[in-house]
Amino acid sequence: MKKVLVVDDSLSVARQLEKIIAESGDFTCVGHAKNGAEAIKMNHSEDPEIICMDMNMPGMDGLTALRTLSVMDKEVKVVMVTSLGGVGDKFTEAIKLGAKNVISKPFETDNVLRILREL
Amino acid sequence: MAVKFFGQFLVENGVVTSDKLLDAINLQEKNNLKLGEMALSMGLLTEADIQRAHNAQMSKDMKLGDLLVEMGFLSLTQLNDIITRQKNTHIYIGEALVQVGAITAEELQKQLDAFKADQAQYVSNGIELPVSLPNSKIWEMTADLTFKMVTRVLDLQFRPGRCELVKTVAPNFMLAAMDFSGDVNARYLISVSEGLQKTIAKAILSEESVDKEPVEVLEDTVMEFVNVVCGNVAAKASQMGVIMNINPPEVLHGLQIDEEDTALVFPIHIGDGDKMELILLIKN
Repeated sequence: MKKVLVVDDSLSVARQLEKIIAESGDFTCVGHAKNGAEAIKMNHSEDPEIICMDMNMPGMDGLTALRTLSVMDKEVKVVMVTSLGGVGDKFTEAIKLGAKNVISKPFETDNVLRILREL
Repeated sequence: MAVKFFGQFLVENGVVTSDKLLDAINLQEKNNLKLGEMALSMGLLTEADIQRAHNAQMSKDMKLGDLLVEMGFLSLTQLNDIITRQKNTHIYIGEALVQVGAITAEELQKQLDAFKADQAQYVSNGIELPVSLPNSKIWEMTADLTFKMVTRVLDLQFRPGRCELVKTVAPNFMLAAMDFSGDVNARYLISVSEGLQKTIAKAILSEESVDKEPVEVLEDTVMEFVNVVCGNVAAKASQMGVIMNINPPEVLHGLQIDEEDTALVFPIHIGDGDKMELILLIKN
């Protein structure tokens, strides 16, 4: 099963994503980071294959963490999960920094799983 | 189920890959010249002229084109020629995707139709504000999108009340707030009763019961609802040419209104004694 790290300051979003991942049969959740700095540390300690990361978080935000991850770890696939995906500049920046996809909030289970399986 | 722009719609639906989209964005950036770059390519300005105009922009709130005319670097006719050439050579993301071979022209038209249908649900309905305000269309859209998300995310039937200009806000169980900055400055708040907080938690967590959930999780679900609405508001605003940045949400248990702010309250009548309000504190 592919290992997934969830990065979101919201407890409820983390809960939703962890549930979707746990029930998928294809993925296992290796942890929950609450900001970009924690994500970078947990990427090192948990070595996930996929990171599902929010953009708008207190402390280090998702795009800053993505910039660092894209340099530090060329293997990990990052998917941004955000309500800001529709802001063209933010979306474009995420893709330029190497994000493999952007899942819009509110999200649907089928859509999340389809995107993770297509990575 | 969100406000999107076309490139995102295509990647999220697996029609094109992020790599192909990046190729198309790079093509757009190479092709769609900015005003200064276009003037340079037409031989109307030097790089030094543009730099001087950029420096002047730091102390003058003017568009580059207007400033170049005011500083005597361009005539009005030359500026219009540049803008016309920019328009005539501009390529949109769909066209760029066809040019890089990510999608056929036929498939592009099919996807454009699907995108239009997907986004039609976010076309704003009429909302009346009680006062005349700068950026009133943005605040009307904010209220309208909030109402739409109450239906789509929370699955609640409701009746929107008339928007009122207020000096104080009636107390409620909790408030979740998010600040807007950029072209507009305001605080967005959703106020909910205790019963409604649980209803929101059930919807966000997809749980039948939330009675055993800790307070921080219940509060977090209301903040997440605010986050989802405000992110989509920012996306819609960007389509309207207005930059709205958002900060992470926070929980409040009381509210003081600054005298200089314009405070608008939009009641959301849910029924069964549950109370929900959208409050906008707009900085003047």
